[in-house]
Amino acid sequence: MKSNISFTLNGKKVTIICNPGTRLLDLLRDTLEFTGTKEGCSIGECGACTVIFNGKAANSCLILAGQVNNSEIITVEGLAENGGLSKLQKMFLEKGAVQCGFCTPGALMSAYALLLENENPTEEEIKKTLSGNLCRCTGYKQMIDAVKSSAPL
Amino acid sequence: MIPDLEILSPGSVNEVVELLSKNKPGTKLLAGGTDIIPGFQIDSNRFLDIDCLIDLARVNEMKSISESDDEITIGAACSFDDISSNKIIIDNFPLLSEAANAIGSPQIRNRATNAGNFINNAPCADSVPPLLVYDALIEKISIEGKQRTSLEETLLVPYQTTVKPNEIVTKIIIPKKIKNYYGTFYKLGRRRGVAISRITLAILLLVEDDKIKDMKIASGAVTPIGMRLRELEESCIGKSPGKELFMEVSKNLGKKILDVTGLRWSSHYKVKVVQQMLYQLLEKLYMEFKEPEIEK
Repeated sequence: MKSNISFTLNGKKVTIICNPGTRLLDLLRDTLEFTGTKEGCSIGECGACTVIFNGKAANSCLILAGQVNNSEIITVEGLAENGGLSKLQKMFLEKGAVQCGFCTPGALMSAYALLLENENPTEEEIKKTLSGNLCRCTGYKQMIDAVKSSAPL
Repeated sequence: MIPDLEILSPGSVNEVVELLSKNKPGTKLLAGGTDIIPGFQIDSNRFLDIDCLIDLARVNEMKSISESDDEITIGAACSFDDISSNKIIIDNFPLLSEAANAIGSPQIRNRATNAGNFINNAPCADSVPPLLVYDALIEKISIEGKQRTSLEETLLVPYQTTVKPNEIVTKIIIPKKIKNYYGTFYKLGRRRGVAISRITLAILLLVEDDKIKDMKIASGAVTPIGMRLRELEESCIGKSPGKELFMEVSKNLGKKILDVTGLRWSSHYKVKVVQQMLYQLLEKLYMEFKEPEIEK
């Protein structure tokens, strides 16, 4: 049973026809070919699939297409500025916060959600924000430095 | 895998009640989705046969937190982020805001709701022990009308409550009758973040004239569901607080947990830890009572 789903993705209106039980993650990656968002654990623990959903960081593996009508979604593709990397992304590179890179899009989105709400977060606030993004190679120190150096956006 | 689903998005409690009154089998309410959706993903047998979800995201009347002279009302669809950051909750019910802040990850707390937590009624539902010591009530509505009941009576066995398929919980109501109580919440997980609780305890203590006037203890994860430990509470009331009493009640807690759960592979560890936890928490609360200015 397919239905019409409309939402705003990275500032642009999108309308698609799909099964309402499709996960937002699959909608982004398979239907819309926005493959920046990664699939890790698929059960809401690792944070690799984090997107910004109506202004808040959320796991796209835990949201269904039937829930996204009229919502605003930002994915890692939406961070780009003038066809290049944003300040936050550049800082992740400069501070060495990217190793295998699989957790990076999710960590960027959690950090971006924080910086949208809080111009100058403390180290504690940054740590708490990144606690839902599991990284098993770089570790967190470099990510925390990157977020700190990006504030304010 | 996620089944073929119809997802309905009503805009008011009345519309939800109307939809539920059809008693269509396979219909379930969807709040934050942080239990149901991963449940589908791992083919959990708890969520088989669902073909219709009623999404509560647009029911705005269930998302506010309000205060009156004698109680605080939390909309059932408030997220844990809403609760942990709300000043009314932080000031009046700090154990609840602490528990809300310890659940899952920031991404989960942005989605998961308080009512979803206790309707799912997992043993490790972190918000349950604080709500139980605060004597929280819930309001549920069906086509037949409104009803207020205590949360404690609502929780039956793991993953089951008395809330019927045609009812929706719309509010959590917490009476403000706990002035002068000292309280604490403690969660033990395998790590500090994104952890499923192994043991949780919520405690409220009221001391007057160096006697325990009232005490409320609730446990989670280490008991089959979040529950009040009334025998232990009653065994302390009227007695003088101090090491001896705290030691005795902590020992009895271990016995009580073994009675309820039987001997498990984890008991050798958990019983000792939960006894030590209770002892330390009671000592801490009593210290805060005796020397409140040091705490501040």
